[in-house]
Amino acid sequence: MSGIGIEETEQWLIGPFFSSNHPFFSINKHTVIYTWITIGIIVAILLLGRYLLSKKDSIARFVTMYAVRLFVGMVDQTLSIFSFNHFVFITSLFCFVFACNLVSIIPWMEEPTIDLNTTLALGIISFLYTQVAAIGEGGLWKYIKGFFSPFFLMMPINVVGKLATVVSISFRLFGNIFGGSIISSIYFTAIRGNFTFEFIGLASGFNLLLAAFFVIFEGFLQAFVFAMLSLTYLSLATQSEGD
Amino acid sequence: MEGFAEYMHYGTIAVTVAANALAVGIGQGITSHGALEAMDLQPSARDDITRASILGMALMETAALMGTFIAFLLLLQTNSTAQNSTLAGFAELGIVFAVGLSGFVLGIVSAFPARAACLAIARQPFFSRQIVRFMLIALSLLQTPIIFGLIVALFIRGQAGSIETVRDSLRLIASGVCIGIGSVGPAIGLAFFTKSACDGMGVNRSSYRQLFSFALISQAIIETPILFALIVSVSLLFVVPAFGAENLVDGIMFLAAGLCTGIGTIGPGISSGKTATEACKQIASNPETYSALSRVSMFAQGLIETAAIYAVLISFLLLFLR
Repeated sequence: MSGIGIEETEQWLIGPFFSSNHPFFSINKHTVIYTWITIGIIVAILLLGRYLLSKKDSIARFVTMYAVRLFVGMVDQTLSIFSFNHFVFITSLFCFVFACNLVSIIPWMEEPTIDLNTTLALGIISFLYTQVAAIGEGGLWKYIKGFFSPFFLMMPINVVGKLATVVSISFRLFGNIFGGSIISSIYFTAIRGNFTFEFIGLASGFNLLLAAFFVIFEGFLQAFVFAMLSLTYLSLATQSEGD
Repeated sequence: MEGFAEYMHYGTIAVTVAANALAVGIGQGITSHGALEAMDLQPSARDDITRASILGMALMETAALMGTFIAFLLLLQTNSTAQNSTLAGFAELGIVFAVGLSGFVLGIVSAFPARAACLAIARQPFFSRQIVRFMLIALSLLQTPIIFGLIVALFIRGQAGSIETVRDSLRLIASGVCIGIGSVGPAIGLAFFTKSACDGMGVNRSSYRQLFSFALISQAIIETPILFALIVSVSLLFVVPAFGAENLVDGIMFLAAGLCTGIGTIGPGISSGKTATEACKQIASNPETYSALSRVSMFAQGLIETAAIYAVLISFLLLFLR
């Protein structure tokens, strides 16, 4: 990424332990650290939520129940049969992606989702879950028969179409979050050091507007789209036959 | 030939800004016209209609803002020493395509959803809050092509200073052409779909919940061809061996790969949008058929996108199996 002034991220090389220098064995340091911090934040919020749920008639309890009910309704509507396993998977996917997108409002941190490795991993997880659910729904034979569904010549189209969902779902998240972070970082490096510009940006609220749009709004939207698309692929895979 | 590079540089800046500003101007005119028509239909809702049209026009200005942004960056770079080569001037043609073309299409086309939202408010004045909220989310998802175009343009600008061969110049132009032409079809499809979703809310407000989730998913699926174009653009910029020896055949192959994906995504983008539009009309009149209709529509869109995937495969064969 030398082209636009973003330095090459520092990497941990674990290749030498296996006597190999292949770039496959290098780990992106920032992504790993920020992902663990994000997971820590999520766990803290969940523990807080458990504690608040035990209190009767509090606002936090109402908010938690409302959010859970919203997701139950969404899963129910798309799958047309409510399944607790799918509900848990989709909700945790949404929470993790949303927390990852939101974490850059903390100073000195950046989103783990601006690394393609994170989004590709999330896409592969969603894809594998969908395939396993499809096999569990109708059995292995029906799953293999689904590839030859209208007639046998459609096999390559079906295979390519299934694999393309991984690429599209992960590149959508990556591209949007990465674009937003590039635009804000160029803006903030441009005004840094110039007192007048910084004052105008702070006083007019433009800095706040930029962060609110690209981090909170866009982050929520992309996390929601990611979860909804996973849910849709799940519903397509598990109920393609019948009704 | 020093002067020629300067002409190309300033021409890039002028064309990019002019195309985006022109398109946004036309689009805002269409939106304002729609808002006035809506006020004519329902004068008592004029405050809500005014608010909706102003918010819509503010979001439509994203294209013009991005054009201005990249023009400022290019102007600041003018005096650097690396800029004074004809090849760099040619490579900046990629920026014209990446930001200028996609912004031009997007500026005009995103007027139609805003106009449809104004007319929907005129039909359902007591439902204006939900319609405005839906329009805001849909229009900001619609701006995805210009953000991708901006990313590619920034990468092109970063590499343009250090190229030395015609091959690399063609590589950068191909990258811009791919994302620029590639976002035309999906942008048109997205806009038609969003327009019909806004219309549907005006027809039947009890279908709001179904239309909302259907619109978000369908927009994400319709814009998939743009993602394929982005992948090809980025691999043209970073994955293929950069700064190689002078070889004109390589350069022409890069251009062919960019054009292949760029033109190959126009058809799938438009027809995927058309499919979702028809499903959207049906959902608006019969919300209870949502789950069957959405499943059929998404299955069809998945098949339509396969055409774009084949174009991407051919591009990759051109790039890597030489």
